[in-house]
Amino acid sequence: MKKNAGVTRTMWMAIAVIVIVVIGAVIAVWYVARPQPAGLTVYSLWSGDEEANFMKVLENFTEQTGINVTHIGFSTQELLIGVPTQLKAGASLADLVIAPWPAWILDLAEDEHLVEVTDLITATKYPTGYINSVKDTAGKIWAAPFKASGKPGFWYKKSFFQDNNLEVPGTYQEFKDLLADIMQIDGIEEPIASGDTVGWPLSDTTEAFIMGLGGYQLQEDLIAGTVNWTSTEVRDVFEDLRQLLAAGYFSEPAEWQSQVAKFWDEKYGIYFMGSWITTMSQIGDVSDLDFFPFPETDGVAGSVDYCIIPKYTENLDQAKELLQYLAGAEAQETMVKLGGFLGTNVDVPDTAYGTLDKKVLDFISQTTVHIVPDLDDAVGGRFQTTFWDQLKLLWVSPTTGTLNSVLEALQEEAG
Amino acid sequence: MRHCKKKQDKTIAYGGAETKGRTITPLVFLIPAFLLVTIFVLYPVVSTVSLSLFQDSKFVGFNNYLELFGRRSFSQALIHNGLWILIHLPLSVFFGLLLAVLLRQVKGGAIIKSIIFLGMVIPLVVGGILFRFIYDTDAGVVNALLRFIGLGSIARSWTFYPDTALISLIIGTIWIWTGFSMIVYSAGLEGIPIELYEAAKIDGASRWKTFWRITVPMLRPATIVVVTMTLLWVLKVFDVVYVATFGGPGGASTVMAFEMYLDAFQAFNFGRASAIATILTLMTFGFAAYMVNRMAKS
Amino acid sequence: MKIRKSTIIAHAIAWSVSLIWIIPFLGVFMASIRPFDEVLSGWWNFESFHLTSQGYLGAWNHPTAPLSRAMLNSLIVTIPSTFLPILVAALAAYAFARFKFPSRDLLFLLIVLLQTVPQQMVIIPIFNLMLRLGLLNNYLGLILLHSSFGLPWMILFLRNFFSVLPVEVEEAARIDGASYFKIFYKIVLPMSLPALASIIALQFVWVWNDFFFALALIQNPRLKLATQAIPVMIGRYEINWTIISAASIMVMIIPVVVYVVLQRYYVRGLVAGAVKG
Repeated sequence: MKKNAGVTRTMWMAIAVIVIVVIGAVIAVWYVARPQPAGLTVYSLWSGDEEANFMKVLENFTEQTGINVTHIGFSTQELLIGVPTQLKAGASLADLVIAPWPAWILDLAEDEHLVEVTDLITATKYPTGYINSVKDTAGKIWAAPFKASGKPGFWYKKSFFQDNNLEVPGTYQEFKDLLADIMQIDGIEEPIASGDTVGWPLSDTTEAFIMGLGGYQLQEDLIAGTVNWTSTEVRDVFEDLRQLLAAGYFSEPAEWQSQVAKFWDEKYGIYFMGSWITTMSQIGDVSDLDFFPFPETDGVAGSVDYCIIPKYTENLDQAKELLQYLAGAEAQETMVKLGGFLGTNVDVPDTAYGTLDKKVLDFISQTTVHIVPDLDDAVGGRFQTTFWDQLKLLWVSPTTGTLNSVLEALQEEAG
Repeated sequence: MRHCKKKQDKTIAYGGAETKGRTITPLVFLIPAFLLVTIFVLYPVVSTVSLSLFQDSKFVGFNNYLELFGRRSFSQALIHNGLWILIHLPLSVFFGLLLAVLLRQVKGGAIIKSIIFLGMVIPLVVGGILFRFIYDTDAGVVNALLRFIGLGSIARSWTFYPDTALISLIIGTIWIWTGFSMIVYSAGLEGIPIELYEAAKIDGASRWKTFWRITVPMLRPATIVVVTMTLLWVLKVFDVVYVATFGGPGGASTVMAFEMYLDAFQAFNFGRASAIATILTLMTFGFAAYMVNRMAKS
Repeated sequence: MKIRKSTIIAHAIAWSVSLIWIIPFLGVFMASIRPFDEVLSGWWNFESFHLTSQGYLGAWNHPTAPLSRAMLNSLIVTIPSTFLPILVAALAAYAFARFKFPSRDLLFLLIVLLQTVPQQMVIIPIFNLMLRLGLLNNYLGLILLHSSFGLPWMILFLRNFFSVLPVEVEEAARIDGASYFKIFYKIVLPMSLPALASIIALQFVWVWNDFFFALALIQNPRLKLATQAIPVMIGRYEINWTIISAASIMVMIIPVVVYVVLQRYYVRGLVAGAVKG
């Protein structure tokens, strides 16, 4: 009968629907409640070679302590936004996070998401500046320094310079002449490589100009907010940069790691980059690599990768053990030997460093050069993303009009 | 409320024996829906409005709103949404109508319509990827085409530069959303009685005149639907901006929904983010209400 | 039959337009099966043509956002988010269509208005709510959110559908002594299959395609949904078009299949003034 057929069909449909929903619910619950892999989870920004090196140190830790460690590398965006969001939720999927942003760390500490590390490390073993950046007003330390990086200057291929009779510039004028010379060389796309996909390559380059042309004090003042982005001194520095951009000396920003490969391939002459470049596999032969600082500069930006422990970790003691290990001289010495890594612990012997890394270390240890915090890392928040975004604008559109609007935008976000 | 109600009020007429059932049953039927909607939609809406009046847990009145209008990033976003509407809306509505009319008379028109409509069905993050891809300097078709017709000098990654980032996205969304306009108009065209056309033909009216005097006015309800929906989508656009340009460079392609996201989840400035959301909602609500009103009048 | 010039022109235009429209899809498909360097020199070049499965494998097994996991995650969220609200909406819609009760029209107006609310308007309090309930990084929270967000338009749609169903059958059953609920699921629901099909099609596609809600509520990399996996793939390494094209194809193929299978219902649902989006 028609009525029965209708009922049966509906019943089947209803049963099917209920079954699907129940199966879905069961899978969902099972999936979420699945036990996390035993051991610790560490978050960082590292990928590629930097990550591979870090894994070696983690393996040593596991050998010594028997504690398993899983590492997940994130993009800047993901770590910057994802971690605070998790912490605000009162949960953390990582037992240890490694990040180079002191302002961000202090914000998290203020909101009481972190574990205090004052008693876990010996503060005197680290340069005072590094510790002070992550110390709150009550004197509590919230992060342990692990890796230091300098952005010492423009890297170049020694053989490329030799083959083309190029010389390392000692003054700013010589620098500009160098760029003009490189521009003429066959096969060169642009003299200076520009990195992208993350914001810091452009901001690091810009900070080199700020300190090189304006002095290290200018950078510190901008961080503190005592100088406006729209002031004459800042404008003068940026105008010089803008002219070089307008002359076509910089490449279009492209993914920063692939730019290293192109740089080594002699499509670019020089590349402003951090000290981690020495460990990158895109560099065919490290002995052919060298750098020169921004001519006549009195400052160098350094950043420190710190280890923090979220309060919500379920493996507090183990996390503390890992933190102490990473902050310790042994782990850092291993990393130094792998290259592209500057230790923060004073107990790391100088002899552990490769020639090039030692040169970087010596350079930033000079008394004539002041180590200054990385600008956007120090200010953080929306200023940082605006800084990266505005610089990209300047790079692709280096007109006076754009410069004005960029400086105004920066001042608005900084103010 | 509904002045041109075509449906009868089909409530069931019952004998008097079920007075109890008459009030309880509707309640039971309604409760699950109202529970969910109240908790997850209504309450959050009200809460967001209230949050917009606070900053760091202190009441600040309309301060957040005032601050927003002084912020260059928000003014940019507002302007960009405005430009998006001005450019996207007429073009996608017009193309949709054109395509609907055209494909009616073409063999295989149904298949073509399905292809054009696919844009509506794909995730907008994929849309964003598609845009980045087709506009890429080396890998993108757009530049290949430009080089083909001799305009190779202007070839570049269109989503990368301040003056072209926004417009490339707008053109991209036209590609995505014209399918909707086309489908709605197709349905609308089916509903126009043939007699009108036959009468016009007898009167000797030209095709052009027929189009403007009969087709377009008869499509008025369809037009209202298309304009309303498209307007709402354009105001809320987020995914494509996030994936294709992340608002840049220098805020050249930022939109209100994107600014809201940055304020809420990057700066954790819930007060300001809520203000943006409220402004956005007032706009969507305002436009929708206006359109529904016009619909009711027809 | 005389072939008019205008018909030829119309056909020419129609097919050129469809070519324009399909090019992005064609491009992304080509890019997904050809090696990266070939894609960089233009997928439309056939001088050196090689096929590769690296794109699909790379996306499926991606180190941080493997689609193997992400697509399963999306299914886990999308299926309940589609079927849960259907029952709830149908019940409410039936009440609006068949019963008279105080402030019925007002409540219905409220439902209609709530459709225009953008996702941004609810997300901050929802985020805080989920935080307090411990439902962040938990699919239950996301499912409840999607279900509730879909209710207003579903109720409107179904109520309009029920209004045009003939009442006589229901009234007859009523006289026979059947309860409202029985009438609902034995008579009304079976008659509503086409409408339910429309809702399933639209809601499934909407939830699968969602990015913003997932972005706000799911941060655990292992729990991320398919739409979240795609931006992760850009952010990490250089834009490997082969891999990201393959990922795009895989993520979009699901809603496209749903659309193709339920095409009639999808279009009907969308056109019936379903104020969705």
